[in-house]
Amino acid sequence: MSQVEKKAGLLRRTSSSKKPLKEKVVLMYDEIFAKEDPAKNNPRFWDELFLMKVNLEYLESKLESVDGEEVQRIQDNINSLFHHCVQALGEEHQIKVVNALQTLCALFRGVHQKNKSASGFDIINMLMGFDKAELRMKDLMESLDSLLCGEGSESLKSLCLKLLLCLVTVTDNISQNTILEYVMINSIFEAILQILSDVSSRGQHGYDAVVLLALLVNYRKYESVNPYIVKLSIVDDEPTLDGMGMVVHQALTEYNRQYKDKEEENQGGFFSTLTSMVGSMFIADADEKLSVQTNEAILLALYEAVHLNRNFITVLAQSHPEIDMAGSPATPIPTTPTTPLGTTPPSLDMMNNPELPLDPNLQTSNLLITFLKYSSIVMQDTKDEHRLNSARLCLIILTCIAEDQYADAFLHDDNMNFRVNLHRMPMRHRKKAVDKNIPSRPLVCAVLDLMVEFIVTHMMKDFPMDLYLRCVQIIHKLICYQKKCRIRLHYTWRELWSALINLLKFLLSNETTLLAKHNIFHLALLVVNLFNMFITYGDTFLPTSNSYDELYYEIVRMHQVFDNLYCMVLRVSTNTGQWKEPASKVTHALLNVRAIINHFNPKIESYAAVNHISQLSEEQVLEVVRSNYDTLTLKLQDGLDQFERYSEQPKEAAFFKELVRSISLNVRKNVSLNTLSQDVLLKEFSTIS
Amino acid sequence: MEDSEPDVSPPCSGQQSPSSSPSPSLSISSSPSLSLPSTPSSGPHHSASPAPGPADTPPGSAPPLGVISEGLGELGPLIDAEVAQRACQEVLQKVKLQQVDDEATGPEPVANESTAPAPAPAPAPPPSTAAGAVKPLKIREEDDDPEGPAAGSVKSARRRQRHNPSKQSWLLRLFESKLFDVSMAISYLHNSKEPGVQAYIGNRLFSFRHDDVDFYLPQLLNMYIHMDEDVGDAIKPYVVHRCRQSISFSLQCAWLLGAYSSDMHISTQRHSRGTKLRKLILSDELKPSGPRARRDPPALTPFCPAPPTEHTLSPTKRTHQRSKSDATVSISLSSNLKRTASNPKVESSQDEDGSSGSDSVEFDVGPPVRLTPQREFIKSLMGIGKRLATLPTKEQKTQRLISELSLLNHKLPARVWLPTAASQHHIARIPHTQAVVLNSKDKAPYLIYVEILECENFETSSVPVRIPENRIRSTRSVENLPDCGMTAEQRAGSFSTVPNYDNDDEAWSVDDIGELQVELPEIHTNSCDNISQFSVDSITSLESKEPVFIAAGDIRRRLSEQLAQTPTTFKRDPEDPSAVALKEPWEEKVRRIREGSPYGHLPNWRLLSVIVKCGDDLRQELLAFQVLQQLQSIWEQERVPLWIKPYKILVLSSDSGMIEPVVNAVSLHQVKKHSQLSLLDYFLQEHGSPTTEAFLSAQRNFVQSCAGYSLICYLLQVKDRHNGNILLDAEGHIIHIDFGFILSSSPKNLGFETSAFKLTAEFVDVMGGPDGDMFNYYKMLMLQGLIAARKHMDKVVQIVEIMQQGSQLPCFHGSSTMRGLKERFHMSLTEEQLQLLVDQLVDGSMRSLTTKLYDGFQYLTNGIM
Repeated sequence: MSQVEKKAGLLRRTSSSKKPLKEKVVLMYDEIFAKEDPAKNNPRFWDELFLMKVNLEYLESKLESVDGEEVQRIQDNINSLFHHCVQALGEEHQIKVVNALQTLCALFRGVHQKNKSASGFDIINMLMGFDKAELRMKDLMESLDSLLCGEGSESLKSLCLKLLLCLVTVTDNISQNTILEYVMINSIFEAILQILSDVSSRGQHGYDAVVLLALLVNYRKYESVNPYIVKLSIVDDEPTLDGMGMVVHQALTEYNRQYKDKEEENQGGFFSTLTSMVGSMFIADADEKLSVQTNEAILLALYEAVHLNRNFITVLAQSHPEIDMAGSPATPIPTTPTTPLGTTPPSLDMMNNPELPLDPNLQTSNLLITFLKYSSIVMQDTKDEHRLNSARLCLIILTCIAEDQYADAFLHDDNMNFRVNLHRMPMRHRKKAVDKNIPSRPLVCAVLDLMVEFIVTHMMKDFPMDLYLRCVQIIHKLICYQKKCRIRLHYTWRELWSALINLLKFLLSNETTLLAKHNIFHLALLVVNLFNMFITYGDTFLPTSNSYDELYYEIVRMHQVFDNLYCMVLRVSTNTGQWKEPASKVTHALLNVRAIINHFNPKIESYAAVNHISQLSEEQVLEVVRSNYDTLTLKLQDGLDQFERYSEQPKEAAFFKELVRSISLNVRKNVSLNTLSQDVLLKEFSTIS
Repeated sequence: MEDSEPDVSPPCSGQQSPSSSPSPSLSISSSPSLSLPSTPSSGPHHSASPAPGPADTPPGSAPPLGVISEGLGELGPLIDAEVAQRACQEVLQKVKLQQVDDEATGPEPVANESTAPAPAPAPAPPPSTAAGAVKPLKIREEDDDPEGPAAGSVKSARRRQRHNPSKQSWLLRLFESKLFDVSMAISYLHNSKEPGVQAYIGNRLFSFRHDDVDFYLPQLLNMYIHMDEDVGDAIKPYVVHRCRQSISFSLQCAWLLGAYSSDMHISTQRHSRGTKLRKLILSDELKPSGPRARRDPPALTPFCPAPPTEHTLSPTKRTHQRSKSDATVSISLSSNLKRTASNPKVESSQDEDGSSGSDSVEFDVGPPVRLTPQREFIKSLMGIGKRLATLPTKEQKTQRLISELSLLNHKLPARVWLPTAASQHHIARIPHTQAVVLNSKDKAPYLIYVEILECENFETSSVPVRIPENRIRSTRSVENLPDCGMTAEQRAGSFSTVPNYDNDDEAWSVDDIGELQVELPEIHTNSCDNISQFSVDSITSLESKEPVFIAAGDIRRRLSEQLAQTPTTFKRDPEDPSAVALKEPWEEKVRRIREGSPYGHLPNWRLLSVIVKCGDDLRQELLAFQVLQQLQSIWEQERVPLWIKPYKILVLSSDSGMIEPVVNAVSLHQVKKHSQLSLLDYFLQEHGSPTTEAFLSAQRNFVQSCAGYSLICYLLQVKDRHNGNILLDAEGHIIHIDFGFILSSSPKNLGFETSAFKLTAEFVDVMGGPDGDMFNYYKMLMLQGLIAARKHMDKVVQIVEIMQQGSQLPCFHGSSTMRGLKERFHMSLTEEQLQLLVDQLVDGSMRSLTTKLYDGFQYLTNGIM
C-alpha cells in the first residue's frame, strides 16, 4: 500500500518538475545544456549527477528543443555527458549504474527524435564526437556485456537489455541506425546467448534477449556482413538453443492460451446458443484485442533461428509438457502493449524443474506443436495487415521446416505421435470439430491438416495468392520427402484432394477478378502437379492400394472442374497475351488427369448402362476403376518431385524489411519510459548503499 | 565317480568328523546335507548344528563350538566364535605349513598375496602372526570387540590342533584341489560353522575368477547381511577389495546390499552390517588404493562431460555464477568476436544440477564423484518410471516417456553404462522416439534402446564427445552463407566444443538422406521456373527428349506389391505400443536406429536395450535368473540339448531394477492377438510349410525350449503362466518371462494352475501332436534334463537356500519351500521311475483343466489371450 502511495508521490513530483521550483537534477541538466563545462565550477558535478534520480522526460525534451546552432555549442557537454555515463557503468555504486543506463537511454532517444532527418554520422558526432566514438562505444558495449553476464542484480540486467532495445529501435529502419555499426563490431551476441542458456536469467530476460537478437540479425542483412547472422548460424550449444526455443515456446503458448480463454469466454456465455452469429462477431472483436504485433518479434526470432541455424531444428521437436500458464494470472503478459517486454516468469520455466509436473491432463507438447497451433489461430483471419504478415511468416517458417531433412524425419516419425488441436474457423456449413476426437498421429498430419484448413477457408475475393502459393508448396515439399523416403503416411488424402479441387473450382469461377491481380495459372499449375505426383508416384508413398483407387475416383467424380480448367487454360493459351505461356504449361500438366477422365468416364457410363443403374455407388465406381487400369497409359512428367529451395535474398527481402520496421516501431513503443524508471530498481539499490 | 565327489560333499557340515580316510564316501557326506532342517544363523542354532552330524563323531574330540554355545547363550557364541576363528586359523596355518613342506609351492596362498591387499593368511608366518593377521580383516566399526579371550584361544586351538589334524588336512586337500570351485566355496561358507574355514574361504575367494564369484554375488552379500559375524568378516575383505577395483562392482554391491537389507526391521536395518557396508561403498571411501591409484588418478577425475564435481560439493547458485563470471571476465579480455558461439559451457552443468542434484537420496551427504554419474543416471531412469505410473493412458505414458528421455539425452554421452550389458562401454545416446511403454496394469515398466560406444575401460577411457542430433545432415547455414567474413581460425574456434568432430571425415560422409538436398544442382535454384526441369528420374528422359509412358496398372500393381512385401509387421496400436516395437527384427531395428543416429558411423557403436522396472521387486527374478543360468550350464556340461534363455536382471532396490529384454521375441498373447492365428498356423506363416527346413528347425527349437522351460516351471513351481508371460522368438523358441510367482507363492493364492507346467494343446500341436516323434523327443529331453539336474542338485539348491536367509520374499513363504524344492529333484527314484514321473507330469499338464481355466481367468481380468 505504501508503495503505491510512494509511487504516486513520485509521479507527482515528476509532473511538477516543469514548474519554477525545479529539482536539483533538472538544474544540473540545465547546466549541461549551458555553454560552460559544468565540471568547471563543481569538480564533483558528474559524480553527483549520477546519484540523482534521472528525469527522463525533462532530459529528452531538453535534447529535442535544442536547435541547430545550439547543438554546436553544447556538443562538448553532451559528449562529456555520454562519456561520463559510460564511465559510470563501471561504478561499484549500483545507483549510479542505473542512472547512467537511464541517462544513456534518454540521450539516444532525445538525439534521434530531434534529428529524424539527420544522418547517422551527425548523430554519432553529437553524442560521442567522431574521434572518440569508436572508443566510447567499445567501452559502452563492454560494460553492458559484463553487466549482462555478471552476477549483478536482475533488474540491472533487465535495464541493460532495455537500453539495447532502445538503441536498436531508435530509427524506424534499423539499417539506417548507424550507431549499430559499433554494436556489430563490439558484439554482445555472447551475452545474449548466456542469458538464454541460463535457466533463471532466461526466465526473466529471455523475451527481451530473443527480440534483441532478432532485431540485430536484421541490421543491414542484405548489404553487409552481419556478425550476428554468422554467429547465430553456428551456435551448436544445446542448452542455449533450447533456451531460445523455450522463450519462443512460452510466448506462443501464452498467446494460444489467451486466445482460447477469449474464445471460451465468448462462446460459453449465457446467450451463446441464441446469438451465435452475434457471438462470432464478438470473437472477431476479441481477436482484435489480442494483438499479434508483439508476437511478430518472437516469430521473427523463430524464423531466423530456423532459417539460419541448422541445429535449431532439433529444438522444434524437443518435447516438454505443455506449459499451463493459466495458474499464474498475476504475472505480466506480453500481448498488451502497456506491459513491459520482459514477461515470462521464471517459475514457469520447465527446464528449471527437475521433475516435470505430474498433472496427467497435461499433454506433452513441443515447440512445433505450439507453433502449429499458433499458426492455425493467426491464419484464421488475414484481413488485418499484421495478421497477414504473421500468417505469411508462419508459412515461410513452415516452408523452411518442410525443406529440412531432420525436421522431415521427425515430422514423419511413426513413434512420435501427438494430438494437435488446431483451431478451426467456425463456419456455417461445418461444425466445430470436437477436440477430443483428434487421433494421435505423426506431426506431419497436423501440418497437412493446417494446410488443408487454410486452403478451404480462404477462398475469398481478396485472395491471398501469396499465402496459397506457399501453402501448396509446403504440401509439395512434404510429399517429395515421402516419395523419396518411401514413407507411407496414414493420412486421409481425400480431404486434401477435395480441398485442392475446390481451390481449382474457385479459381475458375473467379477467373476475371483474380486475373486482374494475380497469376492464377501458376497456382493452378502447382495444384495440378500435386495431383500428378499422386498419379505417377502414388505407388511410393500412398498408404493402401485402395487409396490409389480413391484418387482416381475423386478425379473422375470431379471431372467437370478439370474439364473446365482445361477449357479455360486452352482458351487463354491460344490467345496472345501475358498469360499465354503460364496457361499452356497448365494444359500440359493436365495431360494425365485428362487421360484418366477420358479413360474411365466412358467405362463408368457403359457400366451404368449395362447394369441399368442411374446412380453408381462409390463402391461400384471403384470397381470399374480397378478393373480398367491396365488399358490406361500415363505420361511420365518431368520434374514433379523437384522444388525450388527457399531463399530469402531476392524475393522476400522487401517483406522482411517491412516486417522489421513494424517490429521496431512496436518494440520502441513498448520499451516505455515507465519500465525504464522503475522505482523498484531505486528501492532495491538504495538499501545496498 | 571321481567327478561327483566334490560335487556332493560341500554341504557336509561335519568337518569335525575325523573320518580318517581323506576321500569321503558318498553316503556319509551327502546324507547330512539333506537332513539339515534349515541353515542356522544365530546363537541358539549353534547347538543344533553339530547334532545332525554323523553319529560316528568320536567323543574325544567334542566340538568346542557346541560346548560353549550350550553354556553361554546369547553372548557366548560371539566371543567364542572369535576364539574359534583364530584358533582354526592357526590350525589351518599349521596344516598348511606341513603341506608346504611337502609341496614347496603352496599354490593358492601365494596367489592370494599378489592380488589381495587384505593380508591373506600366508603360509610362512607362525601361528601367533596368523592370529594377528585375521584382525585387520575386521572392519573398523568393530573396535569394541573384546580382546580378552585371545589368551584362551591359543590354548583351545592348540588342543584342537592336537585332536584333529587329519581332518583338517583332508579339508585342506579338498580346498586346495583343482576341483574346489566357487560353488563349493559358497557352499562351505554357508554351511560351515568353523570360523576358520569361513575365514579361509573368504581369502580363497580372491583366487577365483571375478566372473565366477560375481555369479554368486547375491548369495555372498545375502550371507554378509543375514548370517553371523564370522561369515561377514570372511566375506568383507573380498568385497571391499573388489569395490576398490571397480565402480560397477561397487554399485552392484550397494544396490544388492540395499535390496537384501530391506526385509529387515527398520530399526535393525539401520545398524546392520549390510547398511554400514553400503554406506561405506557409497561414500566412496573405497577408492582404488595402492599403485593402481597412483598410476592413473587423473583419469578418474573427468567422469562426466559436465563436471559433477560442482554439484557434489555445493550445488548452490553461487558457484555457478562465480564460475560463469570468471569465464566472462577472461573472455571479455580477449576480443569479443573471438568468443565462440557456444560459449556458455558452464550452463550445461547447471541443467544437470537442476534435474538431478535436488533429488539425491537423503543420506548421501556428499555423493561421491566416482559413482555419481551412474547413480544419477539410474535415478533419473527410475524417476521417469515413477512419473509415468501416474499417467492414465498408454498414449500419454508413451509421449511423456519420449519427452523425458529426450531431456535425458542432453546429458549424454557420459560416464554411464548399462549394468545389464557385458562389454565395457559408455552410453552415448538414447534414441528416445524408439522407447515404448510395456503392457502392465498399474506399474509403468518401459523399454528403452540405448546406443553405446564400446571402449576398453569405461572408468579410464575418455567419454565420447557429444555430437548434436542433426549432425548427420549435410550442412546448410554457415557454408551457404555468402562469405560471412569469418576467418578460418575463427571458424575452427567456434567448433571447439566438439574438437574431435572436425577431424572426423566419416561423420560428414554418412549422409545418405542428404541426397534430397543434393538432388537439385545449385544452378537450378535460381532458375526462373518454379519447378525445375531437372530431376533424378527424368534426366534420362530429358536427354532423349522422348516422352516416357507408364501404365497406370503398373503403378497400382507396384503399390499393392510393395504393401504386400511387409506383411508380418503388427499394426500400430496405441494401447499396445510395445507389440510393434518388439516384433520388428532386431537387426532391422539396429540398422534403422544406426542410420538415424549421429553416433551411428562410429565403428564401436552398438545398440542395446533394457527394460526399466519401477515399483517391482526383482529379487525373485534375480533368483530365478541364477537358477536358470545354473541349470543351463549344468545341461551344457551334461550335453543335454535343452534350450533356455536366462535374461539378465539388475536389482537396484527392493522395488526397482532393470531387465535385459529378450530380443526378437513377442509374447504369445501378442502373437495371437495380432495374427489371429493358432500357434501352429502362426508357425506355418512365419517359417513355412511343415516339411521345410525352416519349419523343422523352428519346431525343434520349440520343442527343446519347451522341454527346458517345462522342467524349470516344474522345479521352480513357476506360476502365473498366462500367454503374456511366454515369449516366442523369431527362431521358434519359447521363453518364459516374469518369475514373480515361484516356489511357494502363486498369484492371489487362487489355487489355479495346479499342473506341473503349462502345456496346452496348441503347444502339442506345434510339436506335431501327442503321438508324433517330436513329442516323444520332448519327453525324452525332459527326462535327460531332469537326470542331469538331479546329478547337480546341490548347485541349484544352494542358490535358493542361501537366498532364503533373512528373506521375506513370497517365494519363501511357509516352511516347506526348501524341502519341496529338493523333493522335486526326486533323488530317490530310479531312472525308470523318473521316466514314469515325466510321463505323468506331461500327461497331467496336457489334460490339466486348470491351465485352460487360468487362461480364461486371465482373459477375463486382464484381456490377455
